[in-house]
Amino acid sequence: MNLSYRIYYVFLRNMVSFKRFILPTFVISMGQPLFYLLTFGIGMGAYMGYLGGQPYLHFLVPGVLVSSVMMSSTFECLYDTFVKMVHEQLYDSLIATPVSADDAIAGDIAWGAFRGLISGTLMMIVAACMGVAPVSPVAVALLLVFMAYLGVVFGSLAMIVTSYAPNFDFFSYYTELFITPMLFFSGLFFPLDKFPQWLKLLAQCLPLTHAVTVSRAIFRGIPSPGLMASLGYLLAVGVVAFYLGIRLMKRRLIN
Amino acid sequence: MSVAISARALTKNFDDFVAVKGISFDIQEGECFGFLGPNGAGKTTTVRMVHCVSPTTSGTLTVFGENAHIDNRVIKKITGVVPQEIALDVDLTVYENLMVFSHFFDIPRSEAKQRIAELLAFTELEAKKDSRIDDLSTGMKRRLLIARALLNRPRLIIADEPTTGLDPQARHLIWQRLRRLKTQGATLILTTQYMEEAEQLCDRIVIMHDGRILKEGVPAALVREEIGAEVVEIRIGREEDARLIGLLSGASQGHERAGDTLYCYCRDGHECMKRLMELNLPSVLHRPATLEDVFLKLTGRGLIE
Repeated sequence: MNLSYRIYYVFLRNMVSFKRFILPTFVISMGQPLFYLLTFGIGMGAYMGYLGGQPYLHFLVPGVLVSSVMMSSTFECLYDTFVKMVHEQLYDSLIATPVSADDAIAGDIAWGAFRGLISGTLMMIVAACMGVAPVSPVAVALLLVFMAYLGVVFGSLAMIVTSYAPNFDFFSYYTELFITPMLFFSGLFFPLDKFPQWLKLLAQCLPLTHAVTVSRAIFRGIPSPGLMASLGYLLAVGVVAFYLGIRLMKRRLIN
Repeated sequence: MSVAISARALTKNFDDFVAVKGISFDIQEGECFGFLGPNGAGKTTTVRMVHCVSPTTSGTLTVFGENAHIDNRVIKKITGVVPQEIALDVDLTVYENLMVFSHFFDIPRSEAKQRIAELLAFTELEAKKDSRIDDLSTGMKRRLLIARALLNRPRLIIADEPTTGLDPQARHLIWQRLRRLKTQGATLILTTQYMEEAEQLCDRIVIMHDGRILKEGVPAALVREEIGAEVVEIRIGREEDARLIGLLSGASQGHERAGDTLYCYCRDGHECMKRLMELNLPSVLHRPATLEDVFLKLTGRGLIE
């Protein structure tokens, strides 16, 4: 791979462009997770009572944080990257400069991760206003680092999908058949222990399941069983997806 | 003058399709070199290899002594590319487009500001500094692409069909700018389908067709050698060809039939016309020979799709 510090320049380009769309993107990226908090957290939470020894809203929040990171970084590296590549031919101009294709793609993944981090952070603030905050400032700092990393994981996965996408419609397969179901199989809304064995196994294959596990542990400051395994799994998925995302996208850009 | 770019048996395959079929050429430092050819001739593919965004399949290609492999940053740093498509960053303003691009070349911010001011003046875009890209005319967009390509003060400028879709005024303005760059010492590579553009700008050209170089030379000399001084176009049915060619023998040095027209290439057009006058033909056009005649003679007058 031909990566250099120029990743930062690509990131910076996105920042310059972003400042013009900052308000609408905040509204959009906050929307869905906020609905979950309000409907499931407050509405359904009133019926649920306590889950795992804590009020339902408290159970829900750490998962909603990571799901908002997932949504933002995924959409950034699907739609925005596709527009830049196909409609605006921005990548073609970029790679004619000392910026390599690898730099350009990694810069966009980094940007997707940053967008995810912004969404997650905003959700954290909203949740805190609702009385659900991480256990300590250290937990806040750890969550920020973790969310940034998750952004790289989901941004890279999305980049793999984009590298094969002939058009926008293609993204629906990924979002409708993978991302959205993952929300419900990840233990975000309810514990997975009532699932039959085969569903439990399936859930363990999904990156979001592990992201929720880790987020909960950091949020409450209580290491859960399997925490290290979840971190290891996310690390492995992240490294492989980042590598593949750049490789496959590069294959599409350079011929 | 030293050789700036040198290609030997340069070949490019896309899967089963051979886009460039073992071409060789040398471009001297400081000259304007044109690649002419119909759509799909391999011009853009060739220049994309030169500026290191497309890998070569076989053969050698050097740019200022550097091997032009994919992502060669030494070459990319000294090359400015005016792309065929209007690939500007539509989310940014004119100024931001240039500033973001100067980052890519590691140009310090204060230096970049100065260069951007110079280039906006050079391309007559000062008044549009803070405009969004969508608010620019096609001519302005093309000029901005030129400004962007010059940010790194390139030794090599590659302009890939830089005037496509422009009106004559805008086209002439771009030609003036490109000529001025050449007088400032830059090496220029131009691809074009416009013969007038090549005649205006290029010191030497190659005519490409179907991935091969058909002809190489100085535009005026090519016209003289391939066509002659003048062309007489006679709109007349095919059945008259033999009679007319016989009539013009000696005065005409070649002829070609395309559709409803017989083209006669003449050393002395007046002599040809004098002989044709006697026939009192309804539609005869007498004009100087141009590069377009060379181009059409070599690549064929039929439609290429």
